[in-house]
Amino acid sequence: MTEIIKVTGLCKSFGGVHAANNIDFSLQEGEVRGIIGPNGSGKSTFFNLLTGIYTPDEGTIIYDGHNIAGWEPHRIASHGIARTFQLLRMFTEMSVLDNLMIGCHCQVNYGALSAPFAPLTIAREEKVLREEMMDILQTIGLADYAHVTASEMSIGQRRLLALGRAIAMKPRILMLDEPAAGLSPVNVDNLMAIVMKLKDKYGLTLIIVEHILKVVMETCDRISVLDHGEKIAEGSPDEVRDDHAVIEAYLGKEMADDEVRQLLAS
Amino acid sequence: MDVVLQAPRNGIARLAAIHPVLPWIVAFVVLLPLPYLTTNNYQIYLINHIGVMIILATGLNIVKGYCGQVTVGHVAVYAIGAYTAAVLSVYFAMPFWITLPSAMIVSMLFGVLVGFPSFRLEGAYLALATLGFAQAVEVFIRVTDYLGSASGLGGIKAPVLFGFSFDTYQTYYYLMLPFVLFAIYFAFALLKSSTGRAFMAVREDPVSAAATGVNVRRYKLLAFVISAAYAGMAGALLAHMRPGYIHPNNFTIIEMVVVLLMVVLGGIGNIWGAIIGAILVTIIADLTRDLYHYQLLAFGLVIVGTVLFMPKGIGGLIDRYFVSRSFVAARDKTAERVRTQLDGDGEG
Repeated sequence: MTEIIKVTGLCKSFGGVHAANNIDFSLQEGEVRGIIGPNGSGKSTFFNLLTGIYTPDEGTIIYDGHNIAGWEPHRIASHGIARTFQLLRMFTEMSVLDNLMIGCHCQVNYGALSAPFAPLTIAREEKVLREEMMDILQTIGLADYAHVTASEMSIGQRRLLALGRAIAMKPRILMLDEPAAGLSPVNVDNLMAIVMKLKDKYGLTLIIVEHILKVVMETCDRISVLDHGEKIAEGSPDEVRDDHAVIEAYLGKEMADDEVRQLLAS
Repeated sequence: MDVVLQAPRNGIARLAAIHPVLPWIVAFVVLLPLPYLTTNNYQIYLINHIGVMIILATGLNIVKGYCGQVTVGHVAVYAIGAYTAAVLSVYFAMPFWITLPSAMIVSMLFGVLVGFPSFRLEGAYLALATLGFAQAVEVFIRVTDYLGSASGLGGIKAPVLFGFSFDTYQTYYYLMLPFVLFAIYFAFALLKSSTGRAFMAVREDPVSAAATGVNVRRYKLLAFVISAAYAGMAGALLAHMRPGYIHPNNFTIIEMVVVLLMVVLGGIGNIWGAIIGAILVTIIADLTRDLYHYQLLAFGLVIVGTVLFMPKGIGGLIDRYFVSRSFVAARDKTAERVRTQLDGDGEG
């Protein structure tokens, strides 16, 4: 396994709040990494820094031989880092298929203004892309809804669609921001099954932020724990579960005492 | 899966399947006898004016309807196009075939200028910034003697092609028609391609668009520049039309409201909608010219009413008709298939 992304000393503050404080982070190719932490611990900020939506104050993000810290989001995206959003942010007035076609925007070979001048070539290229996208829709089980407007989909379907749009970008790293939020337990299991299927099919490296700890514990190879913008722990799910600092962050100092934990356990 | 991949097919779609340009050639042929159906010169003038408005509204639809950038500067760019063509024709005796491309290029440069504020401003704030620009251009024209100031600039020569002069309304129609059809075709082809999808993505959600690899600034600017090219073309065509005279009154904020009405009424983000809007509004505005002041009131009310009760405009209604029709057809087909399957099972 090779290292695919390496973050060193990443800092970002908003006014006096350190949303990311000296975070070091590295990821192996093919890994499934979970990121957890209490509300306001800086998980989303970390995501936004990695995908260029925020510019880091300090630190480097080495990916694919480039330091991508400070790159614009579209440039990072075109280099193979795809993400989904906690609030989905789908293109609601466009059809499901078109949402995916936006996803493969970077794979379009023809020039931005060439469409009116070479309609036949463009039609051929579009057809190939459309078929690829239908293939993805088939994998995530939305093929029957290809021409439905995204705003007419249910929350569960939209979560799938968000996944599909990210996959359409043919990414190397897929970052999922609370992919299962608002889903019923059955749907959560379905979604995670599809995520793992996609991972195997497209050879992805995954970063998952999730509040449903069951999801993280079951699917992730390693877990990083953030609190107050700092990384407080990292390791396998079992290591993290028993980590003193993690319990303290989630439940408070007193709860972290062994005695109290035993009391709770009994 | 075959069913969902098929768009509703009609005669036009079948023509387009043979070659994408074919429907436009057919449209050209069909529209050829139009001037002979009119009873007087004024009606042909009106048709020509509708042509200019179709180009103008289609351009605005690209930047506003598809890319979602609320600009009021479109009319200023239109004015710049018209006056560029006029100045080159009147003072430098340039032929139409040079003034038209020049007008488009100058307009595109100003399109970049109008587009820059869109990097930082959105919605109403962008509208205000571009409103300032539109007003400034109009005032500049009104006080500049070189541009004919408040009395307008006349003596713009009619286009000449191989010694043939397009100096009547009737002949001008035949000059206009290819330009109008090309403008519509260009918009269609462009907006159905990945560029059009990128525009819509920028409209729907810029952050999400950027995260999927769309260079938001580049596409915003591109939309402004393309729409400016449309405005420049419309301006030049207006300037060279008989009687070869343009006046600052053609380029006021009120004119902008009228063009906006065409796009909103026709359907934001719907090319046919803007064209239908341009035709309807130009005719209605002309029929009710006696009621000038009430006209503005009525236009304003129609805009508000459309936004409130028919947000996708006339084009949206037509779209919905076709979509629901194809949906019903697909549903019937599936029901039929299920029925035959069940029958088959029953027999087996």
